[in-house]
Parts: sequence; C-alpha cells; structure tokens
Amino acid sequence: MLSDNTIAIIDYGMGNLRSVEKGFQKIGANVVITNDHQSLKNADKIVLPGVGAFKEGMENLKKLKLIELLEEEVIEKKKFFLGICLGMQLLGRKSYEIEETPGLNWVDGDVVKFNDKELKVPHVGWNNIALTGKNCLFQNVPDQADFYFVHSYYFKPGTKYAASLTNYGVEFVSSVNKENIFGCQFHPEKSQKFGLEILKNFANLKNGN
Amino acid sequence: MKFCTKCVMPDTKPDLHFDDKGVCDACRSQEAKNDRIDWEKREKEFLSIVDKYKKNTDYDCVIGVSGGKDSTYIVIKVLELGLNPLCVCFEPTIPTKVGRKNLDNLNGLGVDLIHVKRNPVVYKKLAKEAIKRVGDPEWQNHLGIFTIVPHFAIKFNIPLIVWGESPQIEYGGPAASKGRDVLDRQWLEEFGGLLGNRISDMIGVEGLRKKDLSLYFYPEEEDIKRVGVTGLFLGYYFKWDLREILAKSRSYGFSTTVRPVETTYENFENLDCYSNHLHDYMKYLKYGFGRATDNACLDIRLGYISREEGVRLVNKYDGIPPRKAISEYLKYTGFSAEELQGILDSFTNKKIFKRNGTREFLKDIDGSLIRKEEYVVR
Amino acid sequence: MLKHRLIPCVLLKDWQLVKSIQFDSYRTIGHPTTTVRVYNARNVDELIVLDIDASIKGEEINTEIISDMADECFMPLTIGGGINSIEAIYTVLNAGADKISINSKAIENQNFIRESANIFGSQCVVCSIDVKKINNEYTVYNKEKGGIDIHPLTLAKEYESMGAGEILLTSVDHEGTQQGYDLELLNQFKDQLRIPIIINGGMGRPEHGVQAIQNGADALAAAYIFHFSQYTPAQIKEELCKCNIPVRSSI
Repeated sequence: MLSDNTIAIIDYGMGNLRSVEKGFQKIGANVVITNDHQSLKNADKIVLPGVGAFKEGMENLKKLKLIELLEEEVIEKKKFFLGICLGMQLLGRKSYEIEETPGLNWVDGDVVKFNDKELKVPHVGWNNIALTGKNCLFQNVPDQADFYFVHSYYFKPGTKYAASLTNYGVEFVSSVNKENIFGCQFHPEKSQKFGLEILKNFANLKNGN
Repeated sequence: MKFCTKCVMPDTKPDLHFDDKGVCDACRSQEAKNDRIDWEKREKEFLSIVDKYKKNTDYDCVIGVSGGKDSTYIVIKVLELGLNPLCVCFEPTIPTKVGRKNLDNLNGLGVDLIHVKRNPVVYKKLAKEAIKRVGDPEWQNHLGIFTIVPHFAIKFNIPLIVWGESPQIEYGGPAASKGRDVLDRQWLEEFGGLLGNRISDMIGVEGLRKKDLSLYFYPEEEDIKRVGVTGLFLGYYFKWDLREILAKSRSYGFSTTVRPVETTYENFENLDCYSNHLHDYMKYLKYGFGRATDNACLDIRLGYISREEGVRLVNKYDGIPPRKAISEYLKYTGFSAEELQGILDSFTNKKIFKRNGTREFLKDIDGSLIRKEEYVVR
Repeated sequence: MLKHRLIPCVLLKDWQLVKSIQFDSYRTIGHPTTTVRVYNARNVDELIVLDIDASIKGEEINTEIISDMADECFMPLTIGGGINSIEAIYTVLNAGADKISINSKAIENQNFIRESANIFGSQCVVCSIDVKKINNEYTVYNKEKGGIDIHPLTLAKEYESMGAGEILLTSVDHEGTQQGYDLELLNQFKDQLRIPIIINGGMGRPEHGVQAIQNGADALAAAYIFHFSQYTPAQIKEELCKCNIPVRSSI
C-alpha cells in the first residue's frame, strides 16, 4: 500500500521541495520533507531533489553531514533512492561547473555544460526520452514520452546505468538506474501525467523488483 | 466587493459591468426591456421566422423541456401560437417527485415528448469529475440540455429550436453576447457556462471513450447546415417576467413546493433536481452570491420588491448549506461527507469568507460560512 | 528533440482569472482552482499567471492563490505581476512558482535582471515585454506610462545580456482580437536572440500558432482560444503536428 511507506524528501537548501512533495501527495504517497538524520533513517525511501549549482549542492550535503548517512542508507542498506535534476547530477563522479567538484560517485559519469556557442542554454522545455531498455521506473510510460527539463549541465553518456537518453545538440543521460538507485534529469513533478506515473512507480517499488 | 445600487448583484459575478451610477448592466437590460423594445414587432418577427424555418410537415419546432415553469410556459405559448412542437427532456441528475409530476403535466398539455434517459453510468462519471474539476455538479447537465436538442432537431429534420429566457438579457453578461438572439455552438462555447471545460476534455476519465459521449458533443457542422438548425431565445421576442410566467404555468397545472427550495426564498424554480441546489450553493462559495441573490435581483428589476427587501432576503437566505440536496448528492455519487467537504473548500472564496488561525473556514452553528464585513450586502 | 510549447497566459484580478482585450477591458475566465484543474486535464505545457492587482494597483502579491494554483499545477508555473525586488522573487518561488516574470521593474532597472539571474538562475527569469505600434513604429509599452521610446528588440537584447532566460513578447494591438499573432513583430526578432521567445496576443485559430512558429516563435501563449472558442489545446497541437512542428503529445 502506498500509504504504508514513508518517502523522505531531503531539504538541503537547494529548493524545489514543495512541488516534489505535491507530486508524491497527488499519487497518494506519504511524504515528509526533512534533513533530520533520524527521520531519514526511519523513512522507507529517499528523494534528493534540487535546482542550482553542483558545488553548492555538495557543500550543503556536507554541512548537514548527509553524505555518510546517505552512503549508509542507500549503498549499504539498499534503500530506494531517487535523485531529481541536480539530485541526479550529484550521483556522478564529478562536475565541471565553474571548477571541478567531486560528486557522490555512485554512478560513473561526469557532469559537463551544454555548448552555449551552439545551443540555447539552459536546456528548458519538453523533450523526449529514449529508453535503453525495460525499467520499472518507466512502467506505463511509453518510449519517446516527453518530460520537462530545465538545466544547463548534463550527465555525459557512457555509463551502463543509463535508463534513458535524450538529445539536445548532444546525446545525454536523462535518467539512470543502478540497483536501488534512480535518477531523473527531468522534473517528474512538473511533467504532468507521465511524470506522476514515474513518481507512482518509484513509490510502489518493493525490494525484489 | 461592490454591489449594484439598484439590485443586489455583486461585482464578483463574472463579466458583470457597472456603469458610472453603480448600476449593473443586467438592470439596464431590464430597463431596456420595459422602455425601449417594441414587443409587438418582435412577436411578428417571431411568427415570420417560424414560417420561414418550417420544413418538417409535422413539427414546427423543437423545445428542450424540463417540466419547470419556464418550459411549461414556452409550450403553452407555442401551442397558443398554433404551432406543433416536439419536446425533448434531458433527464436531471437526481430527479425529484415534484419534478416528474411537472414533466408529466407538460406532456399532458398535448405534446409529443421524448424523455431521454441518458446512460446513467457514463453520466455519473462525468458528474463526479465535473464537481472536482470545475466545481459544478451540474456541468454535464448544462452541456447535455444544450446539445441533446440540436441532435433531435437534426434527426427529425426540424430546423427551429425554441429556447426560453436569454440569460444575457435577464442576468447580464459579456458585451459580446448582447444582441445575440441565436444559440449556436459558438454561443455555447463562449457563454454557455461551461467554465472552460470541453466534453473532449472528459475523454479518458474513468475509461470514458468518445463514443460514450456522443450525446454531449455538439452536432457536426455539416449536419447543422444540412437541416438549417437555428436556436432562438423566446425571451428575445416575448417579454419575460418570471412571476407572470409562474402564474400562467400554474394555471395550466404546474406545481410548486410548499416550502422554499433550498438556497433561496422562492418555491418555484429548480424543483426537478437536487443536484441543482448544490450547484447554486457552490456558486455562492465561489463568488459570494447564490440563488437568493439571483431571485432578489430579478424581483427588484421586475418591480416586485424594493432593494431594501432584497437586501433582507439575501442576508436571510443566501449561503445556507442545502442539507437535503447534499445528502441526496452523497447518496448518488458515493462520495463521503469529508470528500465532498474537501471539494467544497477547494472552491470557497478566500477573499470573501472568514477563516481562523489555521486557515479553516469559520462557520455558524447552522453550517453557513461567515462573510467578512466589507462583503455583506447593505 | 525540444518541443514547441503551448502556454495559457492569464491574468489574476480580484482573486479570479481574467483575460484582457488590448489591455483595455477584461473578461472573466473563472476561479483559479477550476482553471488550473482544467488545464491539467488538457495537457497544456506550462502556465503563466500575471497578477495585475499586484502590478497595477501595487497590492501585495497574492501568495495564497499562487500556492493554491501551484498545488494543482503539475507543469511549470510562471508568476508575474508586481515583482520588483529580490524578496518578492523569494516570496513567489516559495509560494510554489517555478519561474517569475518581470516587466516594469526590468524597464526601470536592468541590473535587477542580472541580480535575479545570479541568485535564482536564468532559467527562472522570464522578461516580459509589451509592444504597441505607435506612429507606425514598434515600441515598448507600459500600461501606466504609455509608450516607452525604445524598440522591443533592443530591449530584449539588453535583457538577454543581463541573463534573462526567456522573453515573453506581447502585442497589445493584437491581444484579444483573435486575428492572429503579430507576425511582422516576430519577423523582426527572428534569429536575433539566443534565448526562447514566447509570443503572446491574438491567437484565434490553430493556424495562427503554425504561422507564429514558422516566423520564429519558440512557444505560443494564448488565452482567448482556450476559453471562448471550440478549439482545444489538443486540436491546436494536432495542427502544429500536421505542419511538422514538434510538440508534446499526450498520447
């Protein structure tokens, strides 16, 4: 039952919390916005949203001492995790935004900027995803469905954990999945019907999926 | 919130304009009705239009009826003019006994009546979505009564549809709608009170398919043209006075209720359906005025009551939650009381009604919301 | 591929949503909750709401209605009207908006755009320019101040250099007329900016949208056609699709 488990949305000062909360509430999940360690430990699933700068994101996580906690809850205890937008980028090895900054390094791949000489940057608007294969996060979501993107940096392709790719001048990774870890570059909470479907699929994940 | 200086209509009514004397355009429209319209000329116009449009050898026109005082009056009038109408009734959401009695009475005046018992499963899905989406439990009925009539006009090859009052003349409306004596698809889309929702937007709701909704789609343009369907407002050609209409209908067997209908002070309108009372109440929640205000304004404009009396009536009757209607509505839809309250709250006007510290709406012991001082009509 | 967007653009006045006709008179669209719920059901791509009470009457920004709308809005929501300080932007974003639209303040002080873009990111900052033809010349227009002696493209380029994320370009003359977008105006902007242009004012039929995109618009804003005509967003998108214009479909 959706209402049986609690999804914790991490508040690390990088915005975007309310719409993610509303999205999960719309599909019937129990959510709590927090950065309290105990609450995160008690939650069944964890969501890391965020818009803004990579460096600031990593620093804020460090300040709140969340990195060790997340490693414990997600890597060791295998809790389901969803990173959205900046939250997905932080999963990478490092970012080249302003200066080289290491990320959580849970998924291999670097984060680089779109070429603003050739493209309008940021990449903002609805763009389609090409699924790399069947994935439980995309159940009931057709291949080539459109989602809402707004970002200037992207996850370089090459990782075998890419769940979907998108094209904007270059091909980039629009979502990832490594075991219990998921990430979406797009904003499911702003992507209407199919976006809500993704949130529902995440909320419904059970161990053994 | 400003109120008309002549009647008691507030400026929250969508598209109502007040002139520099503070009088609303519905009042001005009524004045025009009394002073500036040559009703004899209009009656002649009406008869010549009927003559012109007559195509079907048996029926002269189609009339959408409910059995209410207005449709009873239209039928009486049309029969008096020597015409033979085909009547079509689109079943109400939650029919009442007195409503059914009045429909039978209308039938008994001597007309062929097609009583459309639309698919109740489809209808209920529409109703439950409509109240959540646009805050109107009668959205699908408003749509249905306007589309079913042209469908039958086409099927029976009867070009002329006779509607009743022109809402824009009686109640005021956007400038673009004035002087429009014809109800066509464009009218329906712009002024029919569909609140921006289209029937095509309902496809997919609880599995509804386009073919489930064929009665609710306005007929295709080519069929309309082929038959030459045109809809007229009788209220444009004959002076409309609700109490005169009531008196006439009563003399032909129309029944009223003993007690006032919920949400207002009179006992002769919206008798045929409980869901309509909830619709009127939701109008109150959204805009701060309900059926009692509508009735008082008409009575003032027609000269039956003074503005002072109108103010008293509005303060006494507007906004009392319709308990019976709500109870019937809950039975009909299967919503829980909490679910319905949640829907009502989401449409309640936060500017007009008082709330407490935790942002909940304050209520009196009878369940009515409390208006902020500056929003009480005086 | 990035899709062209269809965006209802409506005004908030006295706690109701309205649309204007040539910036002069208003027609009611309806209750904010109703309207947003209907838009959700229709799969439009974004929603722009401009609070004219805040902008014209100088009233405080109506955060409650913004939150109510944002709570129902599972697509990007842009709020404008009365945004004249960094605090105002915080207020609006905290209430649930995704982007903000700046108009008068940007004309007054272009540095405000740079400041806002630095703090909140360019993607969050939409600059709104209203245009009127005066003496046969396109000129920037402000409801209170009237014509402002600057060509809209010049102003747009300055905004772009300051970090604006998008330009919302409204033709005052075409607004509410349903006669089509101002293609001549669009042509002057074609290929001149690196940031997206959302054209606003005049859409009466789906073909108008096709013409606007073919003349350089990136996204289409409209109000009349969604509320007072029989055309649905789905039909408009169908028309765009037929002309090979990439749009999001709801399948």
